[in-house]
Amino acid sequence: MTTAETSPYATVMDDRQLTGYPIVLKGAGPYGGDLEVPEPLVTGGKKWADVDRDICMHAEEFPTRRWWIAFSIALCCLSLLVFALITLFYSGIGILGVNQPVGWGSFIINFVFWIGIGHAGTLISAVLYLFRQQWRTGINRAAEAMTLFAVACAGIFPVIHLGRAWFAYWLVPYPNARGPLWINFNSPLAWDIFAISTYGLVSATFWYMGLLPDLATVRDRATHPWRRRIYNAMCFGWNGSHRAWRHYESAYMVLAALATPLVFSVHTIVSFDFATSVIPGWHTTIFPPYFVIGAIFSGFAMVITLMTFMRGYFGMKNYVTLNHMEDMAKILMFTGMLVGFAYSTEFFMAWYSGSEWEGFVFKNRAFGPYWWAYAIMFTCNAIIPQLFWFKSLRRNTWVLFIVSILVNVGMWFERFVIVVSSLHRDFLPSSWGMYALTFWDYAFLLGSFGLFFTLFLLFVRFLPVVAISEVKGVMDPKVSRAAFEGGVR
Amino acid sequence: MTSSPVGVLADFYEPDTALAAAEKVRAAGWTHFDFLTPFPVHGMEEAMGQRRSWIPWVTGGLAIGGIVFAQALQNYVMVWDWPMNFGGKPFAAWPSFVPITFEAMVFWAALGSALVAIVAGKKDSVPQPPNVPTGATVDRFVLWISATDPKWSDMDAMAFVRSLGAGDTRIVEADGGSHA
Repeated sequence: MTTAETSPYATVMDDRQLTGYPIVLKGAGPYGGDLEVPEPLVTGGKKWADVDRDICMHAEEFPTRRWWIAFSIALCCLSLLVFALITLFYSGIGILGVNQPVGWGSFIINFVFWIGIGHAGTLISAVLYLFRQQWRTGINRAAEAMTLFAVACAGIFPVIHLGRAWFAYWLVPYPNARGPLWINFNSPLAWDIFAISTYGLVSATFWYMGLLPDLATVRDRATHPWRRRIYNAMCFGWNGSHRAWRHYESAYMVLAALATPLVFSVHTIVSFDFATSVIPGWHTTIFPPYFVIGAIFSGFAMVITLMTFMRGYFGMKNYVTLNHMEDMAKILMFTGMLVGFAYSTEFFMAWYSGSEWEGFVFKNRAFGPYWWAYAIMFTCNAIIPQLFWFKSLRRNTWVLFIVSILVNVGMWFERFVIVVSSLHRDFLPSSWGMYALTFWDYAFLLGSFGLFFTLFLLFVRFLPVVAISEVKGVMDPKVSRAAFEGGVR
Repeated sequence: MTSSPVGVLADFYEPDTALAAAEKVRAAGWTHFDFLTPFPVHGMEEAMGQRRSWIPWVTGGLAIGGIVFAQALQNYVMVWDWPMNFGGKPFAAWPSFVPITFEAMVFWAALGSALVAIVAGKKDSVPQPPNVPTGATVDRFVLWISATDPKWSDMDAMAFVRSLGAGDTRIVEADGGSHA
């Protein structure tokens, strides 16, 4: 490590001064050579007490006008979802575009889309934690929250897809008065129930464990006695005791180790919904890894979208720095290439298998009536992320923002292509058909974004959006010590 | 005011000095002491003489519990209670029981470990200071020596923590008040 005199942490003061390259300290190495140290994860010469203020500020002040504007738009979209739900329950599934032969439509597309987005949060918190990637500290809290809200959005769709959503509890195996009539454990749709609910609850636990010390920070900053009491109850009276930290850290490590295979299992099981069927284009062994990589890809795109807002809107540039954005861009490009590789492998296998049905489906995907959906998918997911070969583009937040939006569009269309193009050409040409979204399909899609952003905006309003205690842990104590010279308490 | 003190708090400002202090506290034979820190300090467990957390054992036990539960449920339902023929597949089609078994294992282990860790943080501990802001959630590394320690005497404890080079030291009363 560097000494206080040579510490680069104090010298880099601003987000814009970051280069993405290590800082070279001439002659500072242990044998007199150069020493390369990474650039600081937190810029702006922040002290520990500053972190509390910068991050808790948004939960302590009356929301800004910009927050209200964003919240109103989100609420409008959410009310559209509520309206659509009421209409659906009143009129039935007939208001949607699904019909023979395309019996799985936008609900399944939206479900896979949202559950995919939900994968990046736990990936960032668990996988990057196990790999000791310290840059995760700036983004993990918001990414985990994003996961929860995306899973909440995803959870709606299979339930309303049932048609009679009020019987959704029949999917749960419990001793009942109908026989008891149990669910079929051989069905991937039954596995889904367990996978999604486990994922939602474990992600929530992981997120809440991470929040405990930060809720205590919010409590200790609170001035109103009720605010103190509420946050004290929420953090179970956390006081920073190292005897508690010992078990806490152990449990956090265990949760990360459990959540890592969980991330991979959940989208694997979602892909089984398709892969265990006998529909050409679905019945392939590539589906589990293909879905998991697509999920991580889309999730990171959504994290980049949200982090751009966090940096600009909430002034988090010192905690979510350009280096963080660049790291995410690299992951986005890497997973984008894997997704492109999966698309190509599918085509290769369709030809190499010699299966006439499989071959037809893939030709039809790319050149059939839904060629435009395939073109959007391939362009947005496999081609556009290639921009990130250039460092200047990886560090340009406008480029990042636009690409992240395009990737999300592309990933929605990926699910559209998978669901619709395999179904609309049935085995018999007499059963062929087309699929189009109705107004209500769009209402549900937009409404789910409303739910997502409403929850996210409430989160930034009431809870610390960056993992305060984890960020403090990766800061340089030599800089932070200066806090006491100013008498900060 | 001379109500009965419940312990002494002493502030340190850097992880390194806190670690050095923890070593000394342990070496001096105090047992009912703790460090309140804004983030987990690397090496503090060893410095305080704590053993490794036993949480992974809980996780392991719960994971096995989840596996047993899921296997028992699925085999009971599919083989024993209401066997049904799905496309000629065997009743005990174990590969299709794997996903739910895995999910149940993760569910039990993760939620159980988190709950146990939160409770253990309270129970498997020493008497803690009354709930007053210590600065330990902000930027201080606060040594706490409880008056329940067998070595405790007011004068000794204060003199000892001062000898550690602590920044701010104070005796804490049961009602949360403190004095130097």
